[in-house]
Amino acid sequence: MKSHFAGSILIIFGSLFFISCEKNIPIDPDRSEIIVPDSYTFVRDGQSTVSFSGQTTRIGMATELISAMTDFSKTETGLLEMYMNKTVDGSEANPYANDAYNESSKSVKSKVAASADFFSANTSESATIKADFESWIIAQSKEVSANENEFATPGNAGQIADGSSARYVNAQGLEYDQAVNKGLIGALMLDQILNNYLSPSVLDAGQNIEENNSSTLADGKNYTTMEHKWDEAYGYLFGFSDSPEDPIATLGSDDNFLNKYLGRVDSDDDFAGIGLSIFNAFKLGRAAIVGQDYELRNEQAATIKQELSKVVAIRAVYYLQHAKLALPTNQDDSAYGSAFHDLSEGFGFVYSLRFTHDITSGLSYFSTDEVNAMISDLTEGRGFWDITPEKLDAISKTIAAKFNFTIEQAGD
Amino acid sequence: MKHIAISKVFIHSFLILIAISYSSCTNEEDCCSPKTPKDSSFDREAMLTQWAENMIIPAFEDYSSALKDLAVAQDNFAADPSADQLAAMRDDYINAYLAWQSVSLFDIGRAESIALRNKSNIFPTSEEKIAANIESSDYNLELPSNFVAQGLPAIDYLLYGIADEDADILNILSEPNYELYLATLINRLDVITDDVLTDWKDNYKAEFISNQASSATGSIDKLVNDAIFYYEKFLRAGKIGIPAGVFSGNTIMAAIEAPYSGIYSKEFFDEGLNSFQNFFNGTSVTGRPDSQSLRHYLDYLGAEKDGVLLSELINDQLNKARTAAIELSGDLQNQIYKDNSKMLNTYDELQKAVVLLKVDMLQALNIKVDFVDADGD
Repeated sequence: MKSHFAGSILIIFGSLFFISCEKNIPIDPDRSEIIVPDSYTFVRDGQSTVSFSGQTTRIGMATELISAMTDFSKTETGLLEMYMNKTVDGSEANPYANDAYNESSKSVKSKVAASADFFSANTSESATIKADFESWIIAQSKEVSANENEFATPGNAGQIADGSSARYVNAQGLEYDQAVNKGLIGALMLDQILNNYLSPSVLDAGQNIEENNSSTLADGKNYTTMEHKWDEAYGYLFGFSDSPEDPIATLGSDDNFLNKYLGRVDSDDDFAGIGLSIFNAFKLGRAAIVGQDYELRNEQAATIKQELSKVVAIRAVYYLQHAKLALPTNQDDSAYGSAFHDLSEGFGFVYSLRFTHDITSGLSYFSTDEVNAMISDLTEGRGFWDITPEKLDAISKTIAAKFNFTIEQAGD
Repeated sequence: MKHIAISKVFIHSFLILIAISYSSCTNEEDCCSPKTPKDSSFDREAMLTQWAENMIIPAFEDYSSALKDLAVAQDNFAADPSADQLAAMRDDYINAYLAWQSVSLFDIGRAESIALRNKSNIFPTSEEKIAANIESSDYNLELPSNFVAQGLPAIDYLLYGIADEDADILNILSEPNYELYLATLINRLDVITDDVLTDWKDNYKAEFISNQASSATGSIDKLVNDAIFYYEKFLRAGKIGIPAGVFSGNTIMAAIEAPYSGIYSKEFFDEGLNSFQNFFNGTSVTGRPDSQSLRHYLDYLGAEKDGVLLSELINDQLNKARTAAIELSGDLQNQIYKDNSKMLNTYDELQKAVVLLKVDMLQALNIKVDFVDADGD
């Protein structure tokens, strides 16, 4: 009781402090003031210092990949090229509708499970995760596309009705396109933001602190390397916005990845305001870099890590709980479509939990083994055809237990 | 041991505390609005009988008979592909589409298990899929991916939209593969509707009426949920909200119901709204006086909101929606193009009734919502 009380005082005190430091406050009299702009706008010599084109490029490539996965005129090779931006034998490929992506040397695959904190010395797991996505893409073509005009039944891939829509699932009821889409939210967006760009090992790498302190700019650029790293984290969340400097107005409708689901969580009354608080933390952290206050920067990074981890966990529970409601009351095979769609999204979000970041341990909230156990709970036996409400509640409970939200809050 | 005993006492008193606070809450509710239903003396059987015998079965009979007329008209057209026969076929098609508006909300029993609505009225239809099916002649209309290539919307396209000029439509529909596809679609509607109607008469009616349980699987809970789902998704959103851009922010003219014939879209909406309100009031298709429906049930329970009978509030609001729709052009596509704000006004009036129906009415009837809003992805 006592400790909770103290905790709330701290929170109240913290938020008072936070509100009051929206504008100019001298953090340290010897240092420059921290100037927090109203929007995510930072300039030097009248020119913007914000850049995250690499991130928007990858969001764009991933967007094309996902929509191609349910376009059954695409070949397996074509889909793989969209994942790798290379041909399967490693030469130049031009798989995208958007030519700027074709000209880019970047790819989705190269940044999957590729963060400094989690994977730089764990390349075997990184390779396993990269290969998971590849296997889902290949299976979409080999198993699902091949059965495009068949009914899905236990053990057989095909289509199944979800309301008036047709969903295309594998033999276990999983939509591979959803696995890739929601899996990338963790393996690409979350991992790059939390475990890479907001990590001191990246922000403070090499001479970044010295250069930032002396406003030494990156070669040919108008930003310091540290500023840029922070902006790259920002770009994976807000980069696809029409007005990325002021992204809250359109939060949730700017991409089909992390932005979209931050928007969804933000529109749940239980979590209202989470979008703005993450945006504010990005803004204040960036201002702190300009003001050379690295402690303040790290506090904001911690807020972002905590909150974005929570967003993915909330969505995982949300879909598992919705799947529970959508499970058919009769045993009619054709009535599973709505539940399968929820389960497929849930599968991707559960997979994404591996890339969450617990600031107390510096590790994921869920170990590889824990995530694998949940995934195999969902897919064992006949997979989604055998799923039970009890199982979905058990997994939901495992997830929610690590955070300060309830299954009910996440599930509505 | 002692420790356990203490915690048991603690838990007990805690539970009692919860129980006390809980009961005081419910008492408070009881004192102000008579929301506790389940007065077993309301004749639930009479209501279910009224629904089945005087509303649902007659509506399916009308629709089925309209489809049979359409099938005959299609046969006549096949024998004599003339402008007159095309006109006759179109008339019968419009009558069938109008009659459909009175059965759509009864998505229960056989209609639900065979997905009648998915096979009858999913729009916008897919010109591309229709063309591919006609081209290949190897297709399976049972597949979910073919919901958008069959039913009344696909027939609308074939009869009105496959070419700009009627003379060209006539020529195209005389081609054997087009004629066959049109005949297939019409016969299929006839067959699946007969299937539902026959099942109502021979089996389901008895089951439906006897299933008076007040639970998620009881007939009343299920059909009331189906009706509200229909109101929200197919009437409010499908016919008005989606084409008016309420959900996407952009108007989608191609998303109106029956866009190729065009001029009937408003009439179809009106008919859908009337059917819903008739269901609420127990107005039978056969013209008998209103009896035993949700309005009566709510009045019986004395359900009020802010001192006014809930049934009156609901009827008033549905009437307001109808009044707002009077302003709309017969061709909703035209209305969206000219002045979408009138579509939005109609939507707003429809939306106001959702709260009364889904929150106030369901609470009064002690019925749980059995559908969840899909998040649209």
